Amino acid sequence: MNWNAVIPELVLALGILLVFVLDLFSDKKHYRLLSVISALVPIASLISLLFVQYPARTLFDLFEVNALNLLGKAILYILTSLAIFSMHDYYEKKGSVYTELSYLPLLSTLGLSILISSANLVLVFVSLELASIGMYVMVSLLRDDYLSKEAGYKYLMIGSVGTSMLALGSVFYYASTGSLFLKEYRDENSLFLLSMFLLLSALALKASAVPYHFWTPDAYEGAPTPITGYLSSVPKVALYFLLVELLGYFYHLKQWLILVAILSILSMFYANFVAYTQRSVKRLMAYSTIAHAGYFLLGLSLADPQLQKALLFYVSLYAFASLGTFTIMSVLEKRSGFSHHILDYRGLYKDHPILASLFALFLFAFIGIPPMALFVGKLTLFMGLVNNMLLPLAIALVLASILSAGYYLRVVVSLFLQEGERRFPPAKVSGGEALTLLLCSLLMVLLGIFPNLLYDLIKL
Amino acid sequence: MENLLNIAIFLPLLGAILVGIVRNEKFSKVVSLSISSVVFLIILYLFLNFDWSAQGFQYVTKLNWIPSLGISYHVGVDGMAISLLLMTSLVFVSAFLWSLKIEDRPNLYFALFLALETACLGVFSALDLFLFYLFWEGMLIPMYFIIGLWGHDRKVYAANKFFVYTFFGSVFLLLGLASIVVYGYIMTGTISFDYTFHMAFSYPMFLQIAGFLLFGLGFAVKIPMWPVHTWLPDAHVEAPTAGSMVLAAVLLKMGTYGFVRYSLPLFPDASKYFIPLIFFLSVVAIIYTAMMAIAQTHIKRLIAYSSISHMGVVTLGTFAMDLNALNGAIYMMIAHGLSSAALFMSAGFIYDRVHSYHMDDLGGLARYVPKLAVFFMISGLAGIGFPGLAGFVAEFLVFLGTYKNFPVWAFIAGVGIVLSAAYFLYMYKRVMFEEETLSEYRLEKWKQLKDLELHHMLSFILIIASAFIMGLYPYPFVKIIEHTSRYVLGG
Repeated sequence: MNWNAVIPELVLALGILLVFVLDLFSDKKHYRLLSVISALVPIASLISLLFVQYPARTLFDLFEVNALNLLGKAILYILTSLAIFSMHDYYEKKGSVYTELSYLPLLSTLGLSILISSANLVLVFVSLELASIGMYVMVSLLRDDYLSKEAGYKYLMIGSVGTSMLALGSVFYYASTGSLFLKEYRDENSLFLLSMFLLLSALALKASAVPYHFWTPDAYEGAPTPITGYLSSVPKVALYFLLVELLGYFYHLKQWLILVAILSILSMFYANFVAYTQRSVKRLMAYSTIAHAGYFLLGLSLADPQLQKALLFYVSLYAFASLGTFTIMSVLEKRSGFSHHILDYRGLYKDHPILASLFALFLFAFIGIPPMALFVGKLTLFMGLVNNMLLPLAIALVLASILSAGYYLRVVVSLFLQEGERRFPPAKVSGGEALTLLLCSLLMVLLGIFPNLLYDLIKL
Repeated sequence: MENLLNIAIFLPLLGAILVGIVRNEKFSKVVSLSISSVVFLIILYLFLNFDWSAQGFQYVTKLNWIPSLGISYHVGVDGMAISLLLMTSLVFVSAFLWSLKIEDRPNLYFALFLALETACLGVFSALDLFLFYLFWEGMLIPMYFIIGLWGHDRKVYAANKFFVYTFFGSVFLLLGLASIVVYGYIMTGTISFDYTFHMAFSYPMFLQIAGFLLFGLGFAVKIPMWPVHTWLPDAHVEAPTAGSMVLAAVLLKMGTYGFVRYSLPLFPDASKYFIPLIFFLSVVAIIYTAMMAIAQTHIKRLIAYSSISHMGVVTLGTFAMDLNALNGAIYMMIAHGLSSAALFMSAGFIYDRVHSYHMDDLGGLARYVPKLAVFFMISGLAGIGFPGLAGFVAEFLVFLGTYKNFPVWAFIAGVGIVLSAAYFLYMYKRVMFEEETLSEYRLEKWKQLKDLELHHMLSFILIIASAFIMGLYPYPFVKIIEHTSRYVLGG
């Protein structure tokens, strides 16, 4: 047993136990301290990554470590830590302190961290469930809030469908290949095809691609806002690192490209149209996530290293932008009476110039305007598509991006160019939130100007 | 010397950051004005030291930037670029001078303008396609907020329209850039965004046509060419004075600059192929928008339409495939930059004093604000191409060149020039003269009007003196512009 390969996960697991035990023996008033401790756990895991010798396989070859998934883990840990740092103040202000919250995100991250190292469908299943169950609980944590309960229920229900698809897909995989290990099988029989379809569907559901997106707007809207930030960043990164891995085993199937193309085109256009009808900015961002799922899936259309590099670069930065956006929203939501209706965002610039500017920065990043880093993500993805002669997909990407500019701009307009009708008490930004916002926005600009700092790290 | 160009490009951005941090009104004004003046002086120095006998780009800097994608930080100038840089920096100095008395959120205002200046200077000096696009898009956000925050009644509508149109155009530009980069990659195996790398290629016809159309759509929206021009009148009408100045003088030139810098040399065959289309669009622009201008009662809208019409002359000259015409077109970019800035200053001044842009609310102003009357008249004459001012040389060269190869088109376009005299003189008459129609109330009000102040005068003098210099002694400017035209036309 090669313990070295699982050090980061072990650190994470021990950290969870530590926080859990501390939680058992302390009162609610120590919640802030517990949060800080749990936010430091992923940092410890991040440091422990330095001691992992790769490439390596362990746990009866179920668990695989290589340069790529280590990078994925590093990004996961940073995101998780930031997400936890920015959470505690929200719950204290909302008066609903659940000390479980300090380790639940860690639990999910542990699942996701194992997920991207899985070399076997059983481990994929178990780790994805570990991650999901934590997320179901987190979404429905505001027990007194109807929306939160509804969101949790819906997420659980639809998530279970995903689980069953994953299980069924694994079964067919086993039936056609005689093994649950992810390897390159050249079979093209119908069982193998079916397993590909089901596995991809299950993961597309988690990635909120159309037509499996139905849980997304409700879960995003109903979940406590910092949790939405977590949902929209950490699991996405893990999923796409896994999908890139999976692509290596399925790309030779003719149907793969068609399936991926259909999913991505549907997601891009459906979400970008529906986003225009949204009144709630939080919901609008949910549709933006769905649209982005479409863009990301384009990167999986072929097994081309350039495309996949572009995809991973894009999704990692997207996660930071998304976490930043939802952190701003949760800061705003701490003010009493604030809803996420677009009217409440009007004139934010007057009261909170810095928050509004950062919000605008992230929104412009989502549109893909340089010098924000997401522009480089879109550009490299686009170049990869053109390079592989997938011109229709490249054009779809461009059209969808143009289409999306309008609804992001509508938010920018309300922030800066319109007068607010309702007044809210000023929002206080806690230290954790400030840290998250600072780091996310800095990364957005810094990696926009020097993208190769991250881009060259992605080694396929 | 090489570093001077880089300093000139990034100094304003540094200023923007400073202004943003310090947040002191007086400091913002002093810093913006001094930084823009320093930038102007640096560029003037580079302009005077430009070696027009040597070929190729000068003051070149090339640094590795994103090697894995073949992107480098590559800037440098040729004759056209340095002239446009000079005009740009001059217009910014006057825009800052003009805005000295601004009271509404001055810090943000000056920071945005400084950021905008970096983007504008960058566009004209970038020699890397990625860098070019970065600067090209970089101007979008500052301008969006300038229109949206300091504009007039329908500012949000205008800002959004501006954003969506230009974003739409630039995405096609991006498609074009990407397609030639990918072609270069497929052909040579190296991925490169470098302009000089692509200059060495001769693309097959299908790619030339695709590239020309994609680049062209991006540029056409920015110029703006008919029929994608409708964002411009709205943006101008709603923008604050300095915003309109920069928009008309600099941002529109990015499009025409793009045609000369990218479309003609990279896609020479496609450019020839599309001459009839471009000519048709240009002539429609010249005549149709000049007629639209005559119909306006809103002075800013009128000037906006006149800009579209003049840009038609630029595109006409660009694609006439003649050295004189191309020289004239580039000359026109600079001349129009000066005259339109001056015209928007006049309109802005009138609005500041009278709070209306509508001709019906004006009239008889010449007696009460005589200094403005003089400058306004000169600006207008510069705009319509009066001999002795820069616009005349430009129009003369364009028509001379176009007439040689395409006499019929030149003749039709010439009609538009007559119209331009009509709309300007008509507007001038209604705004400045017609004293007899003034009501008692207005007469009383006009008597209180304060004429141009010192900072207004300085702004005007800077620009109008340049227009005179370029009109009376065009030789060195034509010479330096020819530096570009020769290689663009393959001579």
